[in-house]
Amino acid sequence: MRVPIIRLGRILLISIQTDLTDNDALCLQSDLIKKISDTEAQGVAIDITALDVVDSYMARIINDTVCMAQLLGADVVISGVQPFVALSMVEMGSDLIRAECVFNLEQAMKRLEIRMSTRGDICLKRDNYVQ
Amino acid sequence: MSAKAFSKLLSTIIEHNRDVLNDEWTSHVMETMGAKYPGILNRDEIHRHADTYITELSAYFKDWNEESSAIQAGSRLGVVVSELSGDHAKRGIRPMDTALYVVAVKRTITKKLITTLSDSPDQLNGCVDVLGVLLDQLTLLTFDSYTTAREKVITQQSQSLLELSTPVILLWNNVLLLPLVGVIDTIRARQFTERMLEAITRHEGIVTIIDVTGVPVFDTGVARHIMKAVDAAQLLGSKIVMTGISPEGAQTLTKLNISFSNVISRVSLRAGVAEALKMVGRRIETINGAAQQ
Repeated sequence: MRVPIIRLGRILLISIQTDLTDNDALCLQSDLIKKISDTEAQGVAIDITALDVVDSYMARIINDTVCMAQLLGADVVISGVQPFVALSMVEMGSDLIRAECVFNLEQAMKRLEIRMSTRGDICLKRDNYVQ
Repeated sequence: MSAKAFSKLLSTIIEHNRDVLNDEWTSHVMETMGAKYPGILNRDEIHRHADTYITELSAYFKDWNEESSAIQAGSRLGVVVSELSGDHAKRGIRPMDTALYVVAVKRTITKKLITTLSDSPDQLNGCVDVLGVLLDQLTLLTFDSYTTAREKVITQQSQSLLELSTPVILLWNNVLLLPLVGVIDTIRARQFTERMLEAITRHEGIVTIIDVTGVPVFDTGVARHIMKAVDAAQLLGSKIVMTGISPEGAQTLTKLNISFSNVISRVSLRAGVAEALKMVGRRIETINGAAQQ
């Protein structure tokens, strides 16, 4: 299953609705970084509310994606980590997810807005929308 | 008859038939190579070459003796041949064709010898033998000078590439831009690091933008070199903005576990410029009422 990447202005939004196979996850990763590079997105929100299980591989992919996105100049916020997922993450090693995590998508968007407002290149996109 | 006598005979024959030989050689070369290098080889020039070449050949055989038979790059014939092949190397004529060019004279002279000395096989044999020995040496010399000339061209090119490769641009007051283009090896890395550090101190660069849009491959080596440059710049007190990392580059870096966590990274140079300007308290704005096409 291909996960859609939704663009909301300067933010890319990903909502993972089902359990992903390893291949799907890798595919999502490369799709996302390509999209960041194409659209010069400044923030990425990844919502994993629907995920009941996150294995170590998936956690690593999320982590790698965060690193890649940061190299491409996009901040990442992850929302909707379930209690059970959080517990198993801590069991596996606490630094498995290095990105900032928040309760829900709304907070993720707020968080991203705040982070982006401190950026220097915010004016770029504003100019783009005027056109 | 001794080899010396054969050489003398050969010299006389060449001297007698020089015009015929010259014409035949020129036509032969034009026939075999003219079509391959249109606009590079022309008849007059080959004719001139042939003239000097044949004169020197005949002179060589005239003064031939056992001791001086080895062709040196410094001898007159040697100079003619090595200049020719060096010239060919610079003009992009292939080594095989250059050798063919030099060796073609063997065929023309042998043909002439066969017709002239048809009634004395001993003399014919001797002359062909002497000629063969010389031409073998000339072929080797051609190859050698061709390679030398090519190497010289390559060295010059890499030298000039090194010189023009890494400018450090003062983009705005206290903002420096370092556009990296091409493969980053140890020599270039050291060079751009030195230039960057020097520029940072001279212009008091508060922010330095390192743009890697033009770097085709991003591997551990390149990352390490850039990392060192970044660390050094930060020691001087300059902040670093990295721009132009490609998605593939980001993937490679992450797989290599390199995160550039101490620098700000932006996908495009313009975003990087905006970020850098903000760090020195400036920004680019639209002018109201200014003409916008």
